[in-house]
Amino acid sequence: MREIVRYETERRLPAAIAVSAGLSAFAGLFFAIGPSIVDEVDLAAYAEAFPPAFQSAFGIDAIGSLEGLFATELYQFGWILLLGLYFAYSAGALVAGNVEHGRLDLLLASPVSRTSVLLGKFLSLLAPMLLVNVVVGSVVYVGSALVDEPFAFADVAMAHLLSVPYLLVCAGLGLFVSVLVSSGSLAQRGGIGLVFGLFMVESVVTDTDFEWLGALSPTRYYDPTEILVEGTYDLAGGVILLEAAILLVIASALRFQRRDI
Amino acid sequence: MSAIRTEGLSKYYGETRGIDDLTFAVDDGEVFGFLGPNGAGKTTAIRTLLGFQSPTAGTAEVLGADVTDERELIEARRDVGYLPAEPVFDEDTTGERALDYYGALRGDERSDHLLDLFDPPLDRKIGGYSRGNKQMLAIVVAFMHDPALLVMDEPTSGLDPLKQERFLEFLVDERDRGKTVFFSSHVLSEVQKVCERVGIIRNGRLVELEDVETLLARSGKIVRVRTADRVTVEEFSLSGVHDLSVDADRTGVGRSDGDRAGTVLSFAFTGEYNALLAQLNRYDVVDVEIEEAPLEEVFLRFYGDPASPTDAEHEGSDA
Repeated sequence: MREIVRYETERRLPAAIAVSAGLSAFAGLFFAIGPSIVDEVDLAAYAEAFPPAFQSAFGIDAIGSLEGLFATELYQFGWILLLGLYFAYSAGALVAGNVEHGRLDLLLASPVSRTSVLLGKFLSLLAPMLLVNVVVGSVVYVGSALVDEPFAFADVAMAHLLSVPYLLVCAGLGLFVSVLVSSGSLAQRGGIGLVFGLFMVESVVTDTDFEWLGALSPTRYYDPTEILVEGTYDLAGGVILLEAAILLVIASALRFQRRDI
Repeated sequence: MSAIRTEGLSKYYGETRGIDDLTFAVDDGEVFGFLGPNGAGKTTAIRTLLGFQSPTAGTAEVLGADVTDERELIEARRDVGYLPAEPVFDEDTTGERALDYYGALRGDERSDHLLDLFDPPLDRKIGGYSRGNKQMLAIVVAFMHDPALLVMDEPTSGLDPLKQERFLEFLVDERDRGKTVFFSSHVLSEVQKVCERVGIIRNGRLVELEDVETLLARSGKIVRVRTADRVTVEEFSLSGVHDLSVDADRTGVGRSDGDRAGTVLSFAFTGEYNALLAQLNRYDVVDVEIEEAPLEEVFLRFYGDPASPTDAEHEGSDA
């Protein structure tokens, strides 16, 4: 399996570097304009202009400080939504499309088990996940010091560390769709749709009688705003996400074991 | 011992038949051709043997391993080389990296030797490969671990004639080294060159299992003759002539006098060539074509209807 992880990771690196660079640039942009936005714009009034569901979806109510601005723009949008969708999409491509185009034939004709193929491919997502967190996390921490509004190191570190279980769940959802359906494009769109749908569920049910439904959404267990603005870490949420990710991978492996390719 | 053995092996996709009730065995050290028209179920059979698909009924063993038992099959695969009909590699990697990768997974005992015979441009990305280069890379990958059993699906497709020839020679060498070879084909002539025994599959069912010699004797040649004189069906009675058709030649081509009294004869021939030539000698022959009977015609002659393709074949595989 080590060979499979190594090979697949190698192939992912160019895209991982591009994503890290893109999100770093996005973070840099907010260091350039962020301090003046926070000083000059009445963000509290800006936040109140949005409907409540929208405020909670993007954590807009916390936007009044530089930490809040980052939590809202970079983390709620860049991490929870963009990266979540990115990993769901990437994981969605792991099985269905490959089976559809016969790309697994040579691999599975080798003396390897299906489980090791699936796990190897899934684990290759870890490297880009870690890379983008380390790179952008460093940019955010160093950048905040450079603009003289240093963020707490522990908060930045935890915002990134706790995002890993969240992103693993997104990837797990993509993987699960990928082993279930036979069309590659359907799997990738399905993974994205599922993650986006769950994101919306949590946003829509907030402050309604259906708030319990939000427990199904991975976004409930990872809140970067809480981490960066209030300095509280939902460690239990991280554990729940990790368990969910493991369950999704196990379910996917069991399904993949039985499927025709 | 049998390298491959199947017993009532069937694979249905819902109501659609892929293969049905295949029972055959390939002995150790044998070169076995799995022959059938496109869409007959050859690829389905091979994918089931490799454990890519689970059979809906029946059993199969490859090198003694039950194909539905993953653990047994993984062990067996160490000694199986598989060449798919349309090999698909990751396009963003180079041939070199692909060789490293598969070498690490299955062992590399002789890629250097294979690369002398088949030489894809290893330093280039596979996305830029021609069909023939991909096929050559797949050949090296399939046999780099020096497997005891070679399973191939239409192995010469995509190779230019020179490389096809080289590949068939390679198979003969492999056989001489004691390897077992199992390959599917819809081209009788290549099967004839290397195989000892063939199974013929049609509409997912095994319709014949026999020696190549016997099959060839039965399939014969397709002969077309143009004569300057009139020939009737009655006078062209010769043993070994099948499906004789006699038409008046309306073209007049090849005759200086422009006379259009000639005849076009066409038939399948399985008899003695001397007898055929003696018979033809009695006419003023303008043109003769003798060619290998295409497999489709063999089917037509021996099994009634031309095999109609089922749509059960794995996508894009038997093309």
